[in-house]
Amino acid sequence: MAIDYKKELEGAAKSMILVHEPHALIKIIVRMIVHKVKVDHAGILLHDKDRDTYVLTVSRGTAGLKIPAGFARMDADNPLIRFFRQHLDQKFFHDGAVIYEKTRKLLSGDIGSDAKELLKGAMYQMEMFGASVCIPSYFKEDLLGILLLGRKNNDKKFGQKEIDFFIALASDVTMAIRNAQLFKELELELREKQNLFIQTSIALAAAIDAKDHYTHGHTARVTSLSLEIAKKLSANNKNMFDDKFFEHLHIAALLHDIGKIGTPESILNKGGSLNDEEKKKMQEHPVLGTAILQPIKELEEAILGVKYHHERYDGSGYPEGLKGSQIPLIASIISAADSFDAMTTDRPYRRRLSREEAIKEITQASGKQFDPQVVSALLELFQENKI
Amino acid sequence: MPKLLIVDDETDVREFAASFFRKRKIDVITASSGEEALGIVKQQKSDLVLLDIRMTGIDGIETLKRIKELDKNAKVIMITGRKPEEEASFDRCRELGAIDYIHKPLELDELEKMVLKELLNN
Repeated sequence: MAIDYKKELEGAAKSMILVHEPHALIKIIVRMIVHKVKVDHAGILLHDKDRDTYVLTVSRGTAGLKIPAGFARMDADNPLIRFFRQHLDQKFFHDGAVIYEKTRKLLSGDIGSDAKELLKGAMYQMEMFGASVCIPSYFKEDLLGILLLGRKNNDKKFGQKEIDFFIALASDVTMAIRNAQLFKELELELREKQNLFIQTSIALAAAIDAKDHYTHGHTARVTSLSLEIAKKLSANNKNMFDDKFFEHLHIAALLHDIGKIGTPESILNKGGSLNDEEKKKMQEHPVLGTAILQPIKELEEAILGVKYHHERYDGSGYPEGLKGSQIPLIASIISAADSFDAMTTDRPYRRRLSREEAIKEITQASGKQFDPQVVSALLELFQENKI
Repeated sequence: MPKLLIVDDETDVREFAASFFRKRKIDVITASSGEEALGIVKQQKSDLVLLDIRMTGIDGIETLKRIKELDKNAKVIMITGRKPEEEASFDRCRELGAIDYIHKPLELDELEKMVLKELLNN
């Protein structure tokens, strides 16, 4: 009997619960039962919510007795499942543990014909699964799983202490599963929120594209090219960017021209070249964009991309004339992607260049207008036919 | 005693299914691959074959085809997974003459009923 179970397992179980890995914990528990309590086999049926069925997920023990994981299931109409779902275990067994031997005694008592029928069915299931004890894991009213135990190797009956120990294990299983479920739900909620935010940004970007007739689809293309460049840079430099960076870049690329909301349409859609006054107005858009997004604290990193995507590597850009490494990489990436897309689409003042010509121009401007490491990533993508 | 041939490349499944049916007074032979199963079919007649569809080496479908070539009256039940491609391949098994199929994870009483029905009808 594993009296030291708690001590031995507490540390491991706690961390397992923290890392939201119920399967790892359940495996430890089942293994522990088989080895320490010396049971010929043990397994656990876990609820599959989508199909409303209980699948034997973890199992251990002697060959021929242990039921292979993933081989067997019990549906909601299975007598053993119905027995537990109707909470008859609590009615007939004060501690919830269903022991085959005791069950047989119950059958000869006066428990009503329906209960007797169900109990017979449940016992037959236990026989098929080679289980001498079943212990349910409930959360509130829901049956999350059932711990199945074979016979003791010495063929003796389980003592009450052992049964109590199994009940404690089953409740740990419940806790681990609940934690994992909660964690999953939380993650899902977070992902939904992120999605909502990305979709909102896309809608805003579409508003800019709609205003600027010459740049149809521009934002979407700049966004996807920016992400490609970042992927390439990251792959070449030992994963220099984390997921957060990609998120920020995604948002920044979508919103890089958001400031054009404040630029008069007459300037945005002017056929010829702009005069000084118009140019000045046009060049306000990164700062305007920054002002629009500033109140959103979570966008701090993304705003850098919006604000500095017209800076040039040699310091001749705007709004601040930042130079070289002063320019945040997020902005340098958008800048190159933005220029590449502008060059390869028709504009009021000139026809589009071929992709080869655009790459050539950008390469020539490496170290002048563009950050050399971004240019080389772009060049690689071009050579690999990825753009 | 009715004879059942169980073909599965997973040891645990073979062992469990074999002992499950032996307890039910069935004479069980096992094979861990399609090739081994074909060797057995050539030598002796089984009343029923339980055949896993997904196996390394020749798979269940090919094994079924060759079993039927050796013995066109052979009765074969396929065991399939839940994956759509495995579900889809059951039509092919029907064409080749499988009498039934059961999905993993399966209900033990369903498996029991299905197998005993065939064996006791002999």
